[in-house]
Amino acid sequence: MSVKPLYIMLCSGEHEKVQLAAMIASVAAVSDRPVEVFVTMNALLPFERGLSAEQRYQGGHFHELFMTKNVPDAIELFSQGKMLGEMKMWACSLVLDLKHWDCDTHLAEDLFDGPMGLAKFLADAESGELISI
Amino acid sequence: MAERQKIDARGAFCPGPLMELIAALKLAAVGDEVDLWSSDKGSASDIPAWCAKVGHAVVESSEHDGYWSVVVRKAK
Repeated sequence: MSVKPLYIMLCSGEHEKVQLAAMIASVAAVSDRPVEVFVTMNALLPFERGLSAEQRYQGGHFHELFMTKNVPDAIELFSQGKMLGEMKMWACSLVLDLKHWDCDTHLAEDLFDGPMGLAKFLADAESGELISI
Repeated sequence: MAERQKIDARGAFCPGPLMELIAALKLAAVGDEVDLWSSDKGSASDIPAWCAKVGHAVVESSEHDGYWSVVVRKAK
């Protein structure tokens, strides 16, 4: 029996939510489940190229703990998920247009598979399970 | 001849130990074993569940002073 792909729509740039999305995506991908992540709205801001961890992540109580404990970095977790499993990441084309960004020059290196529109992502997600964070 | 390597992931938080195990297994030969040391409480249940899901074998699992040792054999 083939497993249903997991589709994650990441909307929040809050560190705790980006971290949770990275954990879910990477663990699912290395557990032989195909994963696709659509990053939109404020969630795309932490993925801007060239930021330090202090600049990249904003959040609350657990953000403070993540920054001071040996918790895997969210961007690194997404990268590991892509390297060790079947995972794709898509940047919302609306946000890229509004920010005048493109994936190849403005987002974290070797992480995004390209821009994508919402309609395409939703159509693809009909083949699996969709969660929104 | 099968080999066993130790990964000391004590101090790393979820899902760091699991990801370290997976990276080590990816480079190992079929039949090799990885002894993962983890102080992350979830590892004791996460790693056997992950092995059952993807088809590797848990050879040993034991609790020590503040950490778990889980030995996994690469099965495919």
